[in-house]
Amino acid sequence: MEKLTILCIDDQRDVLAALRKDLESLNEFCRFEFCESADEAEEVLDELDAEVIPLAVIVCDHIMPGKNGVEFLIEFNGDARFEHTRKFLLTGMATHDDTITAINQAQINHYIEKPWEKEQILEVVKILITEFVMSVGMEYQSYLSILHQQTLYKYLRT
Amino acid sequence: MREKLKFVIASALPLIILNIPTEFIPIQGLSIVEHRLIAIFVMALLFWVLEPVPVFATSVFVIFLELIMISDKSFVLFKEAAGTVNFGVVLSYKEIMATFASPIILLFLGGFFLAMAATKYQLDINLARVFLKPFGTKPAFVLLGLMIVTAVFSMFMSNTATTAMMLAIISPVLALFEKGDRGRVAFALGIPFAANIGGIGTPIGTPPNIIAMKYLTGESVISFGTWMCFSVPLVLILLTFAWLLLLVLHKPQTPSINVAIKGKFRKNWQSLIVYVTFTLTILLWLFDFLHGMNSYIVAMIPVTVFSMTKIITTQDLKRINWDVLWLVSGGIALGMGLEKSGLVGHLIESIPFASFHPLFILFLATIITIIMATFMSNTATANLLIPIMAVLATSLPGMAQYGGTRLVVLAVGFACSLAMALPVSTPPNAMAHASGYIETSEMMKAGTIISGVGILGVYTMLFVLKQVGFF
Repeated sequence: MEKLTILCIDDQRDVLAALRKDLESLNEFCRFEFCESADEAEEVLDELDAEVIPLAVIVCDHIMPGKNGVEFLIEFNGDARFEHTRKFLLTGMATHDDTITAINQAQINHYIEKPWEKEQILEVVKILITEFVMSVGMEYQSYLSILHQQTLYKYLRT
Repeated sequence: MREKLKFVIASALPLIILNIPTEFIPIQGLSIVEHRLIAIFVMALLFWVLEPVPVFATSVFVIFLELIMISDKSFVLFKEAAGTVNFGVVLSYKEIMATFASPIILLFLGGFFLAMAATKYQLDINLARVFLKPFGTKPAFVLLGLMIVTAVFSMFMSNTATTAMMLAIISPVLALFEKGDRGRVAFALGIPFAANIGGIGTPIGTPPNIIAMKYLTGESVISFGTWMCFSVPLVLILLTFAWLLLLVLHKPQTPSINVAIKGKFRKNWQSLIVYVTFTLTILLWLFDFLHGMNSYIVAMIPVTVFSMTKIITTQDLKRINWDVLWLVSGGIALGMGLEKSGLVGHLIESIPFASFHPLFILFLATIITIIMATFMSNTATANLLIPIMAVLATSLPGMAQYGGTRLVVLAVGFACSLAMALPVSTPPNAMAHASGYIETSEMMKAGTIISGVGILGVYTMLFVLKQVGFF
């Protein structure tokens, strides 16, 4: 089984540390990449692509020095190398307009406001992983125990 | 890493077998072709048991190896010994390749088209709503209703798709159960068990049935309707037993359950075509003695109608479970090799089967089947065992009086579907286990009992068939 990558981008280290802790139950099936800026994330994306590592989910903050999260996600949305990767905006300070832009132009799959609940974020990540695994067409059986069951049923029905 | 190790093990042993001199293998009169086929068979067995690659890939590999090693157009190095006395009979490459489109495969494809169209136009979910209504809201009866609906659907749809649909219906309800209500286990187990059992109901219910049909030819041929005449009662009996067992083991505490399914039957012309074609195909399958078309030809009706009416589109076609069809094709090719090369005949001659009672051999075969199917793919089990058992049935002198090929092939075919003790036994079991409502030990307990009773049920059914002169 190939481990799925989850890329977390946030300029605050304690947020990244909290994410790592809340998502640690996925460790057996996922590996995590942590970046503190959009630029750093772009380098990681190139590496992931060069080594053909499946990037399942991007968890991204909005307000960051340099390129902000929504700008990064809009660019990412047009990146053909990662067409199946699920995008998840996690932020405390996005304005109404930022949010609308994120939905319409970056086509994000989920939006959560900080602070988050552990159960909530874990469920969202599982849903997004399931959608990724099924839309790429990976062997879902190997990841069965971390997949979101209700989401899986939808795919398996047909 | 573990996968690589499995790959190495599964490849090494067949390579060793291939490279030892033919005389070293203790089978009388073994030809070179048969020797190579033993290596292919062992490869298939190990790859299907250890699964270093998906099961369908092993099937493709079997077909490829047969083509390059033992066909009439094989690779030049494998033809060097041709013409020598003990080279043996090669297979026609056309026949090996034709397994991809054998009538059996097309019968199954017809089933896929029916299921896809039914799902696409929500016929399945609407029927589920109507069928479940009479069962009310008492948990015990809702469970029975769910199990019956699951079993009936899995006769025509894949067991996996049926389970996914039914678990999707029941999951929101299970989430409302109070903590500690054991009834949740009954529901989470009832659905996969019903799907496994229901698969027995028709020749297209599950791939092992299709493989069994392949070997029921000539004098032993069984029609779609005949199959259902004896297997549907068996399904109903086993289902009732499974229901009672789950109620005893995990009685639901909650006073009432409300399964809400949204929707109405669709009324556009495409939906009407789906309803009519679905009904008509099943009727034609059941009454083939009236119209002369066999079930393979009838299977082309949904394929043709749904393609012509754009109910199944180009995009839908890409989503067909080709892996299942190829898995079966590989099995047919393997069986063809075993039979045509004469390997099974030689193998049976060198083992003193005749000194055992035929019924003991039948018993042993079903037990081996159920053990293998518990740990590996049911279809792969059928691929490996049914061809051997079919030849064994005809060559054992005493077997004919008990029912011959029909008896043995049906017993082994049914046994493949009755393995349900572990999450790995079937995809429905794996899904139910992943739902988080059941412990492996709970599945093992109920599953083992149902497997055991199921086998007894199959014996009883075969005994009754013998009494009414079917064999």
